Amino acid sequence: MKATKPWVPYLFIAPALAFFIFAVLIPMVATAGFSFTNWNGFGDFTFVGFANYIELTTDDIFAKSFQNVFLYIVLTLVLEVMVGLGLAGLISVQKSGSLWFRVALFAPVMLPMVVVAVLWSFIYNPDFGLVNGVLTSLGLEDLTRIWLGDPDTALLAISVVSGWVFSGFFMVIFYSAIQQVPSELSEAARLDGAGEWRIFWSVKIPFIRNAIEVGVLLCVTGAFQGFDLFFVLTNGGPFNATEIPTTLLVRTVFRNADVGYGSAMAVVLTVVILLVGWMFIRIRKWSEKKELRA
Amino acid sequence: MTTLNRIRRKPKVALKYRIPRLLVTLGLSLIAIIYAFPLVWMTISGLKTNQQIFREPFALPKTWDFSIWVDAWVVGNIGQYALNSAITTGSAVIVILFAGSAAAFAFSRYQFRGRGALMGLLSLGLLLPLQSYFIAQSTMFNALYITNTRFALIIPYIAMGLPLATYLLTVYLKALPDELFEAARMEGANDFTIYRLVAMPLLKPGLATVGIFSALSSWNEFLLALLYIQDDALKTIPTGLLAFSSRYVTDYGLLFAALTIVTLPMIIIYIAFNKQIVEGITAGSLK
Repeated sequence: MKATKPWVPYLFIAPALAFFIFAVLIPMVATAGFSFTNWNGFGDFTFVGFANYIELTTDDIFAKSFQNVFLYIVLTLVLEVMVGLGLAGLISVQKSGSLWFRVALFAPVMLPMVVVAVLWSFIYNPDFGLVNGVLTSLGLEDLTRIWLGDPDTALLAISVVSGWVFSGFFMVIFYSAIQQVPSELSEAARLDGAGEWRIFWSVKIPFIRNAIEVGVLLCVTGAFQGFDLFFVLTNGGPFNATEIPTTLLVRTVFRNADVGYGSAMAVVLTVVILLVGWMFIRIRKWSEKKELRA
Repeated sequence: MTTLNRIRRKPKVALKYRIPRLLVTLGLSLIAIIYAFPLVWMTISGLKTNQQIFREPFALPKTWDFSIWVDAWVVGNIGQYALNSAITTGSAVIVILFAGSAAAFAFSRYQFRGRGALMGLLSLGLLLPLQSYFIAQSTMFNALYITNTRFALIIPYIAMGLPLATYLLTVYLKALPDELFEAARMEGANDFTIYRLVAMPLLKPGLATVGIFSALSSWNEFLLALLYIQDDALKTIPTGLLAFSSRYVTDYGLLFAALTIVTLPMIIIYIAFNKQIVEGITAGSLK
């Protein structure tokens, strides 16, 4: 279609672009700019070149925060993506994924993370919490502990909460992908004597590989941006055992007013997230090419 | 012999399928109970006294007195927080739907200089994490005296929601046949009339999906709400609830009740709109 006036298309785009440039693009460029200064949030600042970045290379807590987030990624890949895949496989066997089942598994996704976090702070409560309560009533008192206060278990405890929330989400994504599997494929396998387990592994999973790859990407990039659960449940503690880049970043900038240094962290984190996305796209293109050749 | 075999084999095969099915159903029910248990425990604990919560964490409440929900609503100021959330989310979603559909209309229906570049610019928003811009955004909002007003949340929620909304609506609009628009043009309709009377009505399913998705992410957003709003009268549900929980740290019954109040509507919304929600969330994440 041709516009009546040449400027008409730009007029249609202008509002969207204005919001985006004002609230995202300009701040992004400015954040990158801050990372080369020693600004403390108000008053004067001087340019310090790459000093902030050099300081980051020797910052143990920053390194620890990346170590923690990598561990969190590994744990959530299992607790969110793999569990979600298993659940999707189960309801695809049963075919009628009943509404109540989906409500039970999907409800946590709907809730604000803060609500989830406050609830789980009670579930992990050492005095009346659900976890210790269940362990005690099973006669396993020895296993009870202050889950969020123990550096050995805090990160695992948070990952379990993530799993409780997002496995239902990944289940929905994978289930809708499995529904695209032509029924002739699974029927043929069944006629050849394959059981449901075999059909799931050898027919359904290869068919929905794309959805699984996207799920992995979502889980990884989402984990890098995690904040709400960590902030409410532990805020990085105990002894930095659950410190992740975002909690550290927020504390550096908004508590310690170290805007320049925090901005450098933000830039590093952004580059890492974009790099992960870019690598993912490259790997995908490469494997598609290989498939075409084969 | 063969007929006998056939008769014998038939129920055997059927059984072979039926037993795993039954097991799967049982397993699924067990899983559903485990997943739902925290929410059920939360609801029940909200009806107990502190003493009961500590002494018998698994027991049912002695009395089913739902008036504590009213107390939590009043004491916790939840009405105010819910209203703030509704204003913030509502304003953001309306702007996202109009600005997003307008931009999508232009991208999908016109050829113009810079189209690809502008689309690419907006698509950057699909990749950029919040961390890449929120530090300078907060100093900007401070300098412009936007912090601690509703605009401090509405503006970023719009900006964060628009890239995905525009992208999804462009896909929807591209799927529509050109003739519809050419016919309206032949009738003498100008560009704005075509957008309003041809594109918008046809976009309704897409707008519903995008609307639900953006509403959920605005309603639940926490980090910016925490940083930009200090005034208790303007807090949204996530930050308001957190403030409430730190004010009444030890009044567990009241806190459980407050959590239940904000959880129930979300579950009802899911049951009512589960098709759009699932579609919105999968479309939103499979971008």
